[in-house]
Amino acid sequence: MSLFTRLRAGLLLGATVTLVACGDDDDNNGPTVPPTPTTPPAGVSVTGVSSTSVRVSWTAATGATRYVVQRAPATGDFAQLSDTVTGTQYLDAGLQPGTPYRYRVAAVRAAGTSDFSTVADGSTLAPGRGSATITANIATSRTLFADTTYTLSGFIQVLSGATLTIEPGTKIIGDFDVPGSSLFITRGARIVANGTAQNPIVFTSERAVGQRQPGDWGGLIIVGNAPINRTGQVIIEGTGTGSANPPQVYSGGNNPTDNSGSLRYVRVEFAGFATATDAELNSFTFAAVGSGTQMEYLEALAGLDDHFEWFGGTADAKYLVSYESGDDHFDMSEGFSGRLQYLVGYQSTVLPPRPAAGSPSSDPQGIENDGCAGAGCTDGQNSAPLTVPVVANFTLIGTGPGVVPAGGGYGMMIRRGTGGYYVNGIVADWPNAAIAIRDAATNTRITEGNLLISNILQMNNNAVFQTPNGTSVFGLDTTANNIRSAAGTTASVFLGLTQPNFDWTPSATSPAREGGLATFPAALATKAGTFVTGTAYRGAANPSGPKWWQGWTTYARN
Amino acid sequence: MTRSWSFLLAQRAVRGCARGVSFALLFLSMLAPSAISAQDAAIGRITGRVIDVETGQGIAGVGVQIVGTTLGAMTALDGRYTIIRVPAGTTTLQVRRIGYAAKTVTGVLVPAGSALELDITMETAKAELSAVTVSASSERGSVSAALDAQRKSVNIVNAITSEQIAKSPDGDAAQAIQRVSGVSVQDGKYVFVRGLGERYTQASLNGARIPSPEPERRVVPLDLFPSGLLQSITTAKTFTPDLSGDFSGALVNIQTREFPARRSFTLSQSVGLNANVIGADLPAAVTTTRDLFALGADRRRVPAFVRSFGSFDVPPTQDETNFMVNSFRNRWSPRTESGTGNTSTSASLGGTSTLFGTRLGYLFSGTYGMSQDAQVDQVRALALAQDAINEIDRFEGTTGRQSAQWGGLMNVSAFLGSTSRITLNSTYNRTMDNDARRESGLSENLGLPFDINRLRYVERSVQSSQLSGEHELGRHRMEWAGTLSGVTRAEPDRSEIVYIQDQNGGPSFWFSGAIEGAVRTFSALTEDSYEGKASYQYTMGDPGRQLKLKAGGLYRFTDRTADNFVYQLTASRLSQEDLALRPEQIFDGRFTQEGMNFFTVRPFGTVGGSYAAEDRLVAGFAMADWQVSDRIQIIGGARYESSDPVITAQPSVGATIVSNPSFSDLLPSLALTYRMTDRQALRFSGSRTLARPEYRELAPIQYREVIGFDNVIGNENLVRTLITNMDARWEFYPSAAEVLSLSVFAKEFTNPIERVYLGTSGTRVITFQNAQGASNLGVELETRTSLGRLAEQLNAFTVFTNATVMRSDIQLDATQASVTRDDRPMIGQAPYVVNAGLTWSPGSGTTSATLLFNRVGERITDAGEIPLPDVKELPRNVVDVSLRFPFVYGLSARFDAKNLLDAPFRVEQGPVTREAYRFGRVYSLGMTWQR
Repeated sequence: MSLFTRLRAGLLLGATVTLVACGDDDDNNGPTVPPTPTTPPAGVSVTGVSSTSVRVSWTAATGATRYVVQRAPATGDFAQLSDTVTGTQYLDAGLQPGTPYRYRVAAVRAAGTSDFSTVADGSTLAPGRGSATITANIATSRTLFADTTYTLSGFIQVLSGATLTIEPGTKIIGDFDVPGSSLFITRGARIVANGTAQNPIVFTSERAVGQRQPGDWGGLIIVGNAPINRTGQVIIEGTGTGSANPPQVYSGGNNPTDNSGSLRYVRVEFAGFATATDAELNSFTFAAVGSGTQMEYLEALAGLDDHFEWFGGTADAKYLVSYESGDDHFDMSEGFSGRLQYLVGYQSTVLPPRPAAGSPSSDPQGIENDGCAGAGCTDGQNSAPLTVPVVANFTLIGTGPGVVPAGGGYGMMIRRGTGGYYVNGIVADWPNAAIAIRDAATNTRITEGNLLISNILQMNNNAVFQTPNGTSVFGLDTTANNIRSAAGTTASVFLGLTQPNFDWTPSATSPAREGGLATFPAALATKAGTFVTGTAYRGAANPSGPKWWQGWTTYARN
Repeated sequence: MTRSWSFLLAQRAVRGCARGVSFALLFLSMLAPSAISAQDAAIGRITGRVIDVETGQGIAGVGVQIVGTTLGAMTALDGRYTIIRVPAGTTTLQVRRIGYAAKTVTGVLVPAGSALELDITMETAKAELSAVTVSASSERGSVSAALDAQRKSVNIVNAITSEQIAKSPDGDAAQAIQRVSGVSVQDGKYVFVRGLGERYTQASLNGARIPSPEPERRVVPLDLFPSGLLQSITTAKTFTPDLSGDFSGALVNIQTREFPARRSFTLSQSVGLNANVIGADLPAAVTTTRDLFALGADRRRVPAFVRSFGSFDVPPTQDETNFMVNSFRNRWSPRTESGTGNTSTSASLGGTSTLFGTRLGYLFSGTYGMSQDAQVDQVRALALAQDAINEIDRFEGTTGRQSAQWGGLMNVSAFLGSTSRITLNSTYNRTMDNDARRESGLSENLGLPFDINRLRYVERSVQSSQLSGEHELGRHRMEWAGTLSGVTRAEPDRSEIVYIQDQNGGPSFWFSGAIEGAVRTFSALTEDSYEGKASYQYTMGDPGRQLKLKAGGLYRFTDRTADNFVYQLTASRLSQEDLALRPEQIFDGRFTQEGMNFFTVRPFGTVGGSYAAEDRLVAGFAMADWQVSDRIQIIGGARYESSDPVITAQPSVGATIVSNPSFSDLLPSLALTYRMTDRQALRFSGSRTLARPEYRELAPIQYREVIGFDNVIGNENLVRTLITNMDARWEFYPSAAEVLSLSVFAKEFTNPIERVYLGTSGTRVITFQNAQGASNLGVELETRTSLGRLAEQLNAFTVFTNATVMRSDIQLDATQASVTRDDRPMIGQAPYVVNAGLTWSPGSGTTSATLLFNRVGERITDAGEIPLPDVKELPRNVVDVSLRFPFVYGLSARFDAKNLLDAPFRVEQGPVTREAYRFGRVYSLGMTWQR
């Protein structure tokens, strides 16, 4: 910058400051009517974004505070879309594919509105044309449209401040050729993925049906700003493997009501690639996700690692289905205190993963909950906040003997100081035992009133409780806690237990129709609030209620 | 690149080593008879060196003459001379050179038909000093004092000479160097100086850097070098610009043996035993004849068929999988064998001869050793923070180990006139460790009791070929060296198999469905290094007031590749009875017949462990060495070093990652010596040095560590550590054999690299980070004195101690401090190191006894993850004894007893024993025949 340029810049700056000062003075001296913009917005253009949407953009008009946008079909009258647009673009969705539309824009300043701009024409894209590859991090808010199939190529991160909106029915696949491709909703970013039962949002493998395998891609990872019980810097396993996959820190959160957006009717399929030895990604990872986040109707199937894993945080969720996991179906740890109701976990086999994607776990379980483990558990397994979730109305069905390695195969593995309320569940066909209260720190949670396991129907498990083998393993008073056994086949308890036509509703003669904890004890009732309610039945399905899994779940193994 | 013939010879030795050995032996046997053939009754020879009494360095161009005859010689570059055909009997020698006072040595007894070795010192000419006359016997003491490297050096140096090594029970360089003040040795091989980590210690062989044969650390296992091949080990603790800049603790230089002045042949043989091994039932791996020559890695390669599947993107069919299972060696279980003894053999031949009118000095040496040791009462466990810090995953067991080591060196030196010397030095060493471990314990995570068996075979080699030259003409001196060096490390086919103990007392059964159930690991590392360096020195002024100006440069190219392939073998649908079979039965083919469908073979996070590095190092220096007065000497200067490594890493996900950091630094130094009296000196030194990150640490890939089984991730953002060093030392030499010295030192580290745990939501991950800084302060005391000071009768006893006490503080940034404690010393820094010894050596010099003691203070091996305390290796007391005595017919004998207290090696983390075992006491008896 030459001296002259600097001088000129300085003079201009001085003039601007003077003008602003004058304006302040004017405010004090009485109302001033701003002049109506004499010129309407210029440069209006229309770009097809997808087969159902276009983007209208224009250059800012001097002094405008907002804009009016109107649309007309190729022939016909203009109708108002919005008069509150503050930016210089408008996304018009819900249109007909391959159809031309006309748009015009006017600028508003205070009470005055300019004339409309010249009319700009544009069309939506032709139907089925939509496919897009996402290779860069998402730094500004973006919408993914249902008519387009998106490929996540690499470790795609939605960065803080941005919101990723996904239309119902959108399909998103992980690039098979960029192993471990994943979607990270980082701390401070949001995802709004609200599918419907008819049009769920599906995250899946790039490979053709019949060739899909666990580990075909990475997974969906959400990092919130709610507390966990570990101090220091803690990163998500499988991240930090290189500059393209930076470490995702999820410790240090301080906002229990943090909002990472909402997930409704979302499936995550064939995820779980291991970015390093023994470091698989989960299908759904909820790390320090806060209670402001809305989650319901979620399914994970054929993932290589855990299907749903919560690391601390306070997020609630309802209506979760997990089918054929490579590790645990539901995993809660590090101070997770959310509330979960209506959960199905079903395992019949160990699916062979994508070659070199990682390995199925040595200890798959239905629920595997830890108090605190690893660096930063300042008070060991008593570190606060304790892992105290509410888990109500769950149906957990295992493989029976001889399928999973000897270390796993527990319906409910409660260990390392975990508390929580586990009520109204069905636990069947687990090769090791229905329930493990694995160590003294966990047993302490029972005696201090932070752990309740009650009103459980257990059947066809190798044992009710894990048998002692040198470590301290504990049991429960089955009568006092209403942990009941039933005879007969597991299939006889449900309306349909044949793949892929599952109906989780209790059969007419099912003992699960009753035996539930309908009235919660005080501590549980307080924690459950209105989000979780007691039921007379056990398991994930109301014998006389809606079949909430119908329409949007699927049960594919390849 | 042209390669010297000795390098080709060494290469050939690598490829067909058995041939190489026999070739060397043939060479020895050819020369041996000639060594004793020159017989003449009436005449003999005198050989030796003329050295400067002040500097201890040889003086070239000195005339040495037999008084009253025309017999004489001119000394060569290092002061060496030989006068032949001297009439036997008593005679008188005279030495003369400009600038030095002439000296006459009387009473020189020349043996008939043999050679007399006589070294002579000369002193710079002073006004009051004219010709000196001394007797031959009194001259020896003066020589020994002049050769005391420690005393003569300007910087702070500790040296162990071959004589001291011979008096100790030390079998290799790692054991010998423990006797140096401030030095501690870890795992019997890796050197720490002043309690600093291995990162801050450099090792060189004859002045050229030795590459590290470990994939994850920068270390040189000094046990690769048998003591019989060593001339000296010097440990420079302060920096001068002509030394490599990447050390702070010390530069350890191993000097291989210089040729003896007269032709001699030595044959040594020793046998020994480890009290924990001999007769005990120990786990043992099958050891073949090839293994005993450390050539077994070839037979343990990754099966080509398995390798051909790469990272298994196209998975094998069931038939192919069955073939794969069969193609692995069917070896999983240790056998139980009764332990046997140790043996070691070495031979060397050295001398001088004349070829085409050029004087050649030569030394050929070869050594072979075989030993067995064991780690008994072995415990390993982890700490877990529950209500309190509790022990989990405690495994107890035993490891048996068979080791073999062989190597040789060839050193040929030629004097070209009195101005030049050319030396060709080649060494080759190869070792093998064949381990078998059995252990049992309970896994906390899986809640299962396991029996784990491991077989592990590690082969290492170090080779170096160096052609170097020295030229001195008047005031000009030139030195140059070209070195080709290489290391290899192969850990082929480590097998690990896990069985679950049956809780009802039945037989254990294979953990068949789990990824850890049966694992085979294949890893290999090779590094080659090409180094050239040259320096020029110009001397101004007269002897005693000289100013030496020296400048030089170095270029080194290093090329490293490290590979790591790991496979897991799992099975499903095997019956409980089948799973209870021995592993050699399960894998013998009975379950892999055509059409059978039990096994799966997959990579275990395979490709992430491979990386390659190329590094170009350019260095240049300029320095001045100024003898200001009789009392004051100053060395100052600076070195510039620029390193430009390119690390290519293959992560398990995505494309190859290339890191290319570049480090260029100017390293000034200044050292001052003030000789208060002839017997006392004060030394001061200040310098800046650096420590560069290791190649592996810069590769931003995550993979499972070969040694520690933790996941490790590199950090491409690491920067090199800069270290400011300040040293001060007072030295007092009451007599030639006695010393008392006191040093204080301070080191300020900027960005020291630490190995730390990364908190993750799952598997533990280790990474490397630059801490903000660290400061170390220390005091070092060294004494060596004769007990004759107390009473005349105790004259034969000498005691020595050296002790270093240090205080270290690390400074971490907030993120690092939240993971580990920040009020701790640097990792690896011991608070004290103590060595002490007592030697009994009556007049003759052929009989001696030595008692040695060593203790290293508690040091952090890993910084604990909060809330766990730091992991610390506990001090242990080590006492060794050795005896030397003459035997019959030119044979001398030695008896050594090592680790007499057998104190356990222990690593603790708060109340938890992380690792513990005992090595056992080792006794050996050896004979040496020399003529």
